[in-house]
Amino acid sequence: MTDVVIAGYARSPFHLATKGALARVRPDDLAAQVIRGLLEKTKVDPAEIEDIILGCAFPEGEQGLNVARLIGLLADLPLSVGGMTVNRFCGSSMSAIHIAVGQIAIGAGEAFICAGLESMSRVPMGGYNPMPSPELMKKSPGAYMGMGETAENVAQKYQITRVEQEALAVKSQQKAAAARASGKLTEEIIPIQTKGGTVSEDGTIRGETTAEALAGLKPAFSQDGTVTAGTSSPLTDGASAVLVTSADFAAKHGLTVLAKIKSVGVSGCAPETMGLGPIEASRKALARAGISAADLDVVEINEAFASQAIACIRDLGLKDETINIDGGAIAIGHPLGATGARIVGKAASLLSREGGRYALATQCIGGGQGIATVLERA
Amino acid sequence: MIDPIKKVCVIGSGTMGAGIAAQVANAGIPVLLLDIVPRDGSDRDAIAKGAVAKMLKTDPAPFMSKRAAKLVETGNIDDHLGRVAECDWVVEAIVERLDIKQSLYAKLEAVKKPGTAVSSNTSTIPLANLVEGRSDQFKRDFLITHFFNPPRYMRLLEIVTGPDTDADLARRVEDFSDRALGKRVVHAKDTPGFIANRIGTYWLAVAVNAAMDQGLTVEQADQIGGSPMGVPKTGIFGLIDLVGVDLMPLLSASLSATLPQGDPYFETVRDMPLVEKMIAEGFTGRKGKGGFYRLDKSGGQKVKQSLDLATGEYRAEQKPEKLPGKAEKDLAALVTVPGKVGDYAWTILGHVLSYAAKLVGEAADDIVAIDDAMTLGYNWKFGPFELIDRLGPGKLAERLAAEGRPVPALLKSAGTNPFYRIENGQRQYLSADGSYRDVKRAEGVVLLEDIKRASQPLIKTGSAALWDVGDGVAAIEFTGKMNALDEEVIKLINQAIPLVKASFKALIVYNEGSNFSAGANLGLAMFAVNIAAWSEIEKLIAGGQAAFKALKYAPFPVVSAPAGLALGGGCEICLNSDAIQAHAETYMGLVECGVGLIPGWGGNGEMLDRAAKARMMPKGPMPPLSKVFQTISTATVAKSAAEAQELLFLRETDGITMNRDRLLSDAKAKALSLVDGYAPPEPPTFRLAGESGRVGINSAVRDFQKKGMATAYDGVVSDRLAEVLTGGEADIVDTVTEDQLLRLERKAFLASVKDPRTQARVEAMLTTGKPLRN
Repeated sequence: MTDVVIAGYARSPFHLATKGALARVRPDDLAAQVIRGLLEKTKVDPAEIEDIILGCAFPEGEQGLNVARLIGLLADLPLSVGGMTVNRFCGSSMSAIHIAVGQIAIGAGEAFICAGLESMSRVPMGGYNPMPSPELMKKSPGAYMGMGETAENVAQKYQITRVEQEALAVKSQQKAAAARASGKLTEEIIPIQTKGGTVSEDGTIRGETTAEALAGLKPAFSQDGTVTAGTSSPLTDGASAVLVTSADFAAKHGLTVLAKIKSVGVSGCAPETMGLGPIEASRKALARAGISAADLDVVEINEAFASQAIACIRDLGLKDETINIDGGAIAIGHPLGATGARIVGKAASLLSREGGRYALATQCIGGGQGIATVLERA
Repeated sequence: MIDPIKKVCVIGSGTMGAGIAAQVANAGIPVLLLDIVPRDGSDRDAIAKGAVAKMLKTDPAPFMSKRAAKLVETGNIDDHLGRVAECDWVVEAIVERLDIKQSLYAKLEAVKKPGTAVSSNTSTIPLANLVEGRSDQFKRDFLITHFFNPPRYMRLLEIVTGPDTDADLARRVEDFSDRALGKRVVHAKDTPGFIANRIGTYWLAVAVNAAMDQGLTVEQADQIGGSPMGVPKTGIFGLIDLVGVDLMPLLSASLSATLPQGDPYFETVRDMPLVEKMIAEGFTGRKGKGGFYRLDKSGGQKVKQSLDLATGEYRAEQKPEKLPGKAEKDLAALVTVPGKVGDYAWTILGHVLSYAAKLVGEAADDIVAIDDAMTLGYNWKFGPFELIDRLGPGKLAERLAAEGRPVPALLKSAGTNPFYRIENGQRQYLSADGSYRDVKRAEGVVLLEDIKRASQPLIKTGSAALWDVGDGVAAIEFTGKMNALDEEVIKLINQAIPLVKASFKALIVYNEGSNFSAGANLGLAMFAVNIAAWSEIEKLIAGGQAAFKALKYAPFPVVSAPAGLALGGGCEICLNSDAIQAHAETYMGLVECGVGLIPGWGGNGEMLDRAAKARMMPKGPMPPLSKVFQTISTATVAKSAAEAQELLFLRETDGITMNRDRLLSDAKAKALSLVDGYAPPEPPTFRLAGESGRVGINSAVRDFQKKGMATAYDGVVSDRLAEVLTGGEADIVDTVTEDQLLRLERKAFLASVKDPRTQARVEAMLTTGKPLRN
């Protein structure tokens, strides 16, 4: 198989939906700025790009139509660069990367921009016109279940206490705050021009959060539940992008390679406990890479909810010190379609920054799926 | 034509200044709110900004909508006073200190344009002192505009002009205050406390002292001095708790310092050790630890307590005995009840009414100004002279004389003649010269009250009447209890339509009750339920649908003009009109779900149609459905007409009237504007979301239930509502007609009304006035 590499990663700052600094920024504009930033950073010749593959969980309204193509035009990319929008809910932009890997493998191009975006301010979760199938609703009500409820189900199934969830949330916030304070997030963030000025830092991180403060919150999804706003990832606006190329292309054009893509995996699971999706998906990817969890030096596991992250960490036997080194989605935010590219890009950057050989990026997906990517240091 | 005021500056962002600024913004007029620069902190506008932020959290809300709040720009006096040059009117509402006000005026004089009105919201300082040392131009531009708290809700504005005030400028401010700010303007003379506070302060002092001297409990005092005299149910001590016990000595000190020697106030005012002790210990009323009344939570439960006026200690609330005989309704009977009740009532009325009579000529030109001031400024049901008429002017004078107390000249000259009379349908008042004069309304004001006095209804049923309100316009008035809607209203609508068609150009639906209509008569409906008269109920629903539809498709324009509550059926009659002209203080909502019902008189279709046509509504079948479902299923009531527009009850083309007195004339004008080329509306058709949409809505409701935000039966009622709003059996590609939707609505209504859980909710509402959450 042709070796495929991550040759660049960038993202916008992440901000709370509705009240954050990006609420008034159109999502297509946001992604266009990130892609321009990635091109400038990697110095790749835009004319060499085959396609923009962009993930979005609710591709309608301002992020509707074939928004990937429109973003290419907005970002002044050469007309020859294609554009495709893909949807696998939260796994959308990780799927975008996987598609690029396949395209490169069959010789259908050498350089791809794999991006993701979501404005949860401007397009509601569930979209404007949620119209479930009455038949499926009867047959498999979990298919349409709210994400918070699935997180409660996982907490119950795995007997994960509220205190454990809050401990993970506090740690995530502290790690993210420390990373920001030491400038470790600056490298990946593309400052965004808005009508209200330039936005160059995340607006989601709450480093001052304490276990006591979290303990005071009301359950967010079920009266007698354990999941709160503090142990859930916030509704977030953001965009992300990685440059995916063949190893040869990267070498020929003198690109800085962050990591090699070793293997990928996708696996379905019960919709009612969709948060467990990463377990089987990661197992598949690890098996395909011929390694075990013990071999991982860096893990980016999306914290959609603390409960599901804990369950996956537990089942997969992940090492604590490898997990979400610069903080996870509870602190940084989870703009649905943008998260996959963020965590793959982040895992690749961490491998190159922290050293080590293997990294795993994995996330759960609404409706009952998981997706995973194993990276190897270049 | 008076040049309209386009921008206002309010200086001073305390409760009054900020509230006045909010009301200007409520009228859609930009306003600059300035205050001093804070001593510390980097934001020089922090004080004014803080006032706006606080108002956004205040309940009852000073702002009518969030949009209005955006019209208030904040700043500080040091940096931004020059911007008064942009304004047509500057309202000063700073601290009540003459020297500080005078120094502000000196600064203002240097920066304001000649002809820009400057007014003070002072409640105590004479105008003559305020303008001392100012130029002639400033004096021409200056007047006093005394608002009442809270400025959005209190309808009184006292205006005082000085000898130099330019009459056109004063008229410009008065016209704006009337039309834009919705105030009824009362002209007061430049005397201490003007009218309302002078009488009000005297009244409270008399009533508090007498309660102590005559050994009454606060409950007895509020019972006697409250509703029998037409005073709001807070009575005397409850009112002091509401406005703040600490305000009493301040008012007293300021009046004592400025009232002329010999004023009867000096005979009443005295040191009040009890009040001083209360203030010192933080018992300043509702804003403090409690006042004359409090809720004691120390035992874990809320226990109502009252202050014992003799010991100064709290004790359990003591409900007084019912007033004997006719005393509750008849003032003459009240003052002659032997013992404490009669003595106390007479002490209040004898003093306060003669004081009011003495002030005609001194504080106001006529009795109408005084009565308006007390009814609008203190929410009395009757003004002092209306009270004298109820008591009997002769009896009052006689008893005063018998007790050797002075009888005011005006009362003497009245003899046994009433202060108000009706002559040829025109209400007249007794003027100071002994002649009767017409009670004049402000220019352009038409009141149904006046029309009714001078004419007979065209048609009348048990719960409604039809009136000729002039210019070819007829008006339907509801007349039942709470203006509830029942078959008698429906009967009148059906009779009115052919009559209006034959003899009028347009119809309006309007009344002058405190509430437009709280909806269908639930009591009657429950009666039918109790005897299982389902066909009667179905007839009432179908009859209402048919009558409202007949109004909608009548060959003439129909305009509804609500004010106050317009709930349930009261809201639906508005929705079925060609246009709505709403008073700014209209509280509109489809509240049926709260009692386990769903709207049954066309409200669902009307709301879906409005939502589908609303600007900025995202495409697809779900967004309008979600918006309407959310509003109806949660029984949301708009807290203003502006908010009703945001909730889509009002269309963008509907009108809002700020001054309650002008609602009828504005509604008439709106109706007449639709007459030329009028064609009834085309019946709407609907593309509804069908079963898929219903499943989506239902699952959202289940999520609310899990969160504990909706009860089990809320879910059932919501499902019935969703059935209607998604078109029942209709598929997304089907076109649903208005009649099909009305049928669905009827079916769902009947299913609800037959459900014992709905009946339990209605029963609870009727008996306790509170919703049952089953």
